Amino acid sequence: MSAAREPLRRALIVGAGQVGVLAAVAIKRASPATDVLVVGTPLDPVAFADHIGTALPFTNRLHDRLGIDEEVLVRRAGASHRLAIRYVGWAGAGSVGLTAYGGAVDPKLNSAFAREWGGGAHRAASGAPAGSVGAALAEAGRFMPPSGDAPSPLAEVDYALRWNAPAYRDLLIGIAAQLGVRHHPGPVSAVQPMLDGGIAAIQLAGGDAVAADLFIDASGTAALLSATQPDRRWIDWRGALPARSLAVGRPDAPRLDLADRVAFTDAGWCWEQAGRDGVTRFLAVPGEVSDAAVETALGAPPADRFPIDAGRQDQPWTGNVVAIGDAAARFEPLAGVALDLAHRQIDLLLDLFPGRAIDPRERAEYNRRFALMADGTRDWIASHYAAPAAAHRLAALDRSPALDRMLDQFARRQRLPITEEATVSTSEWAALLHALGVPARRSALSLAEGDDPGRRAAAALDHKIAAALDAAPPYGAWIAHMLRDLSPNSSP
Amino acid sequence: MSEGGKIRVVVLGGGTAGWMSASALAKLLGPRIAVTLIESEDIGIVGVGEATLPHIRGFVERLGIDEADFMRATHATYKLGIDFRDFGRIGESYIHPFGTFGEKVAGVPFHHYWLELAARGMAGPIGDYSLAVEAAKANRFAPPAEDDSLRSTYGYAYQFDATLFGPYLRDFALPLGVTRIEGLVTEVLQDAESGDVTALKLADGREVAGDIFVDCSGFRSLMLGATLGEDWEDWSHWLPCDRAAAMPTAHVDREIAPYTTAVAMPAGWRWRIPLQHRMGNGYVFASAFVSEDEACEAIRAAAAGDRLAEPRVLRFRPGRRKQSWSRNVVGVGLASGFLEPLESTSLYLAQIAITYLIELFPADGRIDDRDRDEFNRLIDMEYDRIRDFLILHYHATVRDDAPFWDHVRTMAVPDTLQRKLELWREAGRVELYSEGLFYDASWIAVYMGQGVLPERHDPRAAIPDPERMRGAMDALKAAIAGEVAAMPGHRAYLTARAERLAAAP
Repeated sequence: MSAAREPLRRALIVGAGQVGVLAAVAIKRASPATDVLVVGTPLDPVAFADHIGTALPFTNRLHDRLGIDEEVLVRRAGASHRLAIRYVGWAGAGSVGLTAYGGAVDPKLNSAFAREWGGGAHRAASGAPAGSVGAALAEAGRFMPPSGDAPSPLAEVDYALRWNAPAYRDLLIGIAAQLGVRHHPGPVSAVQPMLDGGIAAIQLAGGDAVAADLFIDASGTAALLSATQPDRRWIDWRGALPARSLAVGRPDAPRLDLADRVAFTDAGWCWEQAGRDGVTRFLAVPGEVSDAAVETALGAPPADRFPIDAGRQDQPWTGNVVAIGDAAARFEPLAGVALDLAHRQIDLLLDLFPGRAIDPRERAEYNRRFALMADGTRDWIASHYAAPAAAHRLAALDRSPALDRMLDQFARRQRLPITEEATVSTSEWAALLHALGVPARRSALSLAEGDDPGRRAAAALDHKIAAALDAAPPYGAWIAHMLRDLSPNSSP
Repeated sequence: MSEGGKIRVVVLGGGTAGWMSASALAKLLGPRIAVTLIESEDIGIVGVGEATLPHIRGFVERLGIDEADFMRATHATYKLGIDFRDFGRIGESYIHPFGTFGEKVAGVPFHHYWLELAARGMAGPIGDYSLAVEAAKANRFAPPAEDDSLRSTYGYAYQFDATLFGPYLRDFALPLGVTRIEGLVTEVLQDAESGDVTALKLADGREVAGDIFVDCSGFRSLMLGATLGEDWEDWSHWLPCDRAAAMPTAHVDREIAPYTTAVAMPAGWRWRIPLQHRMGNGYVFASAFVSEDEACEAIRAAAAGDRLAEPRVLRFRPGRRKQSWSRNVVGVGLASGFLEPLESTSLYLAQIAITYLIELFPADGRIDDRDRDEFNRLIDMEYDRIRDFLILHYHATVRDDAPFWDHVRTMAVPDTLQRKLELWREAGRVELYSEGLFYDASWIAVYMGQGVLPERHDPRAAIPDPERMRGAMDALKAAIAGEVAAMPGHRAYLTARAERLAAAP
């Protein structure tokens, strides 16, 4: 008869950024009897997953599971909602395409007819009709998160959160402390690896060696623990992802906006993250772009500039060491993808939660699924460069067979093959490619169906949009309402 | 291209796969294509797939066919799963349901909690916690709910007379404009340069020209195999059964089981599939271990009910063509591959091939290599995943009572299956995938049902108080029992909806 595995006695997390602390919360929640210790490491400014305060919709589910309340993020961590991304200049100068999160987009709306004629308000400003409820709400600046109890026209709308990264981290630290997670300021002075892989203990500055059953390496690009592991192999992604550095602008004045803007410029993509604490521009600069061009794209000299060595670990889990976040994969941090992948790794670890003895097959399954997720993220970013303006501007990039197949199938019939463990749904991916202005022909099936299904889908969407606009207050009013009863005496 | 600029599609074969292909193509691509189907009364059809998977409902719905009409025409009954007997060990049985067992709690799949309680002697059989299993055992049926309730935790398929399904679809397809040609194909004409098939020549001298050819000629695989010579990947070392002796009998019970039964036999297994007016029976066997005569005698002896016909023997080879789409020929059904009907996958495989053909159909009639590659990639994946699942049913056994079972118990299995088995045995985890057939609940059903229990399970399953867990599991069991009690009997459900019933023979 099967026996429960002996639980982890101690899990040790190296790295106290927003990735490491959330990992600690996740492990402590899963296994309250486990002694969970977070050890601080010197700040790694290049660890995008630790510094950029946003992720993707997946994170909302993880937060729910870990008891991290969205309302608290809004009240105490400056959180705001991103429903959509506005792609500017990707199809050519002046082009605009808006795409929202959520997998509920009716594929019939992807027909040329529906895109040209269907789908909600035909705004003169952008010329592009909304392809989804989320996009229409973002355009109108109206939204409030649905409560989840009563059926709501907003229930289908998916969104990502943005937040103030230091405030979010403080909030996580508070939760971790409440759960009994211990903290040591670090740094790690030495690592005692085991001969056949894994780590026996780490030496803390001015203290004793600390042993643990499981080590989480959330130390950022240094990968302090992973670096000690034998047979470590790094998979280079630089052929597929052109940016070699990330230039970050000085924050502008705060702005509430339900959409972020991602422009394609001569100096690479420029993501403008709106937010209640300021608007930040991130520019992913390919090699051989002049400083002057970077400055032009950002509108000012960058406040910071970080190298990007795109790639991932072949096996992020070796022995009893699991690398997560920038210790496991590095890439252009486009609109939340960096933290999204880190959070998926934490979720995967919960799925395959180990006992005191690490099972090599379970570890192999983790590494298999991580590879699919990470490669999916790489392909998601790389697919942006299939946009006409990017393809025109940049030299041909390497494409994985999966991405090659997807882009080919999309171009010839708007079909998106399923990608296992993909971080976005096929309909979201199709919506992205449309927003980027990637040309696509109609399939035999769509031609045979004619324009009626698209017309009907567009009419149905119009109804949904009208209902959603009716149900949603102006977003600013909702935020104000949320903050109104926030006073020093009524902390939530 | 002729016929008013329409792409000419020629389907060869008037069996189930042929008429499924013709009707779906005509229904969904009708305005763009002209479909011709060639069949011959001189060639019998195999009529495999009396039992189906829930996917068939999607096919019927997509065609816009009314369920009651379809059920009446094919003498269909409802199916909630398969009852496997004597597979893991003689005397043991389990139901592989179209449904789940319990649900995740705190991110940990139900079966880990079940393992924890079972180890303490505090849990009933895992089937107790599956509504589909309990409803099947009670011979009850009601359609699932479309919400998040307990009643939404299962699906259903049909058990029907496969020899009636093809003709039913023929009547459906002909008004859609499908041209039916009666004739025997004597020659496959090819373009001298490209090797593409250009026309099929009939015995009476007629030539039927086309742009795309769908090979539904069954095991003969006239175009894909015989003409184009597509290589065959043989899997008989893993799946040794290569014959079936099929024999219908009359019902013995008044009740109709809402499930198919698969009983392990000395050299294979036998099916029992309840239709409206009769029972389908058949012995799937390995000819290396038992002769055809012996097998026929065995099914005569084993099948309950009055014999309605003598056993009919079918021969097959497990495996698939290395390419199911070659040049301008697409194989659908047995012409492209065969996996024995242990998990009722035959019609599913035909359906999925048709689905992908329609998805990848060339808008201008010119086939692109990349679409062929994509079709073949997808079909291979489907076959390979089903193959591993089928092998598990044979390999996961302690039976040593017959040379056949000694063979399958001790044989080397594919690496892909070995990896899955080890992950399950060591950690109680199911390798996750989201494309193709058979997800975690199916794997868990067969692993558990055939006695492959993990050695260890998730440490989190030991955290809650066992008495409280027992309380929760008992509550689930009681809720399931309540739902089952509220369902009508399967026959009663059918009788109350008489538009689904064929006239008694």
